Amino acid sequence: MTTVAGGPPSLYSATLRRSFTTGRFFLVYGCVVSSLLGVALAGARGGSFSASFPLLLPIFAVVGSMGGLVIFANDRLKGVLEYLLAYGMTPRRIFLDVLQTALTLTAIVLSVAIALGVGVFVARGHSLTLELGLLLAAYAIPMSFASSAFAATVGMYWTSLSSPRSGMNSPIGLVPLVGILPAVATLAVIAGLGIGGQLSPDRFVAVALGAAGLVALTVGILLLSIDRLLRREKLLSPA
Amino acid sequence: MGARLRDDTPAADPGGGPPGIECRSLTAGYAGTPVLRDLSFRIEEPAVYVVLGPNGAGKTTLLRALSGILLPDAGEVRISGRTLGRSGAQEQVHYLSHVDGIPDGLRVREALEYYARVERAARSDVDRVIDRLQLGELSDHYTSQLSAGQRKRVSIARILLRERSIYLLDEPTSNLDPKVAGELRALILELSREKIVLYSSHNLFEAREIGRYVLAIRSGQLALFGRMDELRSAHFVIGIRTLEPSEALAGLPRQGDYYLRELSGPEEVPGLLRDLEARGAKIREVREMGNPLEDLFA
Repeated sequence: MTTVAGGPPSLYSATLRRSFTTGRFFLVYGCVVSSLLGVALAGARGGSFSASFPLLLPIFAVVGSMGGLVIFANDRLKGVLEYLLAYGMTPRRIFLDVLQTALTLTAIVLSVAIALGVGVFVARGHSLTLELGLLLAAYAIPMSFASSAFAATVGMYWTSLSSPRSGMNSPIGLVPLVGILPAVATLAVIAGLGIGGQLSPDRFVAVALGAAGLVALTVGILLLSIDRLLRREKLLSPA
Repeated sequence: MGARLRDDTPAADPGGGPPGIECRSLTAGYAGTPVLRDLSFRIEEPAVYVVLGPNGAGKTTLLRALSGILLPDAGEVRISGRTLGRSGAQEQVHYLSHVDGIPDGLRVREALEYYARVERAARSDVDRVIDRLQLGELSDHYTSQLSAGQRKRVSIARILLRERSIYLLDEPTSNLDPKVAGELRALILELSREKIVLYSSHNLFEAREIGRYVLAIRSGQLALFGRMDELRSAHFVIGIRTLEPSEALAGLPRQGDYYLRELSGPEEVPGLLRDLEARGAKIREVREMGNPLEDLFA
């Protein structure tokens, strides 16, 4: 044996690989259901696909990205986080590894769903419209990443500040529901602004990107404030 | 898991002063509520230091504070001359929690490779600890399939991946069968020849067997820090077993086959035995009935 020096490295890749096994249910669910929905909508009428599919994507992206949070919740329960803290890893580093994992899982869900949905849509003879492109680029993709980041970050705070309850099988509880709140709220705002007429593309892009930016900013603040908001002992196993 | 593990372990210089732990007026706890209060001590000699105390006294909190998991509310912890929390200090400490700390969804080898990634250890180190802890047959088992004792062995293998100068072990022999617990005690004694080992336990006989020093905590404060062999019971009681009933021992209280006799210290034992034999008692066995460490829990 030799003596060690240098802090612990990022565990992002290890966490991602573990999420493919421990969190596979969520990833498979996110990919399969969003793809089936896309294929079904693309097979129906072109208009309903363009109007509905991009709006629903963030929900499946959030669900599909839960694998990272499942790892975090299990690791806290099993004392792995305690071990990581003892080896010099900071809570922020731990959170960032899980956040990166969630964003990667989101990218996987989006890639699969968009490739299949849009592929079938085009194969059915529909042409790609500006509306579809706008909804995907200005809303679905940025909001999916922002919502997944929000769900992962809020979920880690939530998991750290709560104790597992008997009878609760899921270690992440209601986090997926919390995670889709920003997307739902944004849709409500867009619908509200659009009352009495169509929202112009410019205003839509501004509102959609602004909302995603706001959610991302919230995530950033939560991560930067972690030392103030979360005492280290909250990451210890309650066992 | 651990695809980027090195094939060999790079040598590294931890820097800092000579290995040691120094607590200066350490106060630490949870959510602002102190568990340890104004704790001060200094450890420099490589040895096993047994951390004892009743439930809730602060043993686990002490080990967590020394490992850098908990930050001090007041005071300071210095590891080998460096303040804990600054670069290099934590890298000299190995910590074994009372919970296993084994990641879910991995096989035993993958779990060790996961630890090796954190420790920047080499693939060959994983092979070495698998051999040393006799985990070969289990290496392809998922950790969720292991018994509590087997999980503990995996957890112990982790702290052998890389060499550090200080080992903080929180109840390492809990959940282990006597054979494995004995092997672990031998391992700890071997480690303590060159390393500082702090070892918390509820097993007083085990503590007495392997500890050179005792560090007793009561209500978050240091109740005692001294050499194990200098500890003496407030009440020194011996048990005497005879080959046949003897008048010389009549009237003494009994515990099982033993007649109990309280003395002021072990130096009185030879004289007592000579006296009993002179009075016809055929003595088969004499043993100390209490453990001086029990007094620390009184």
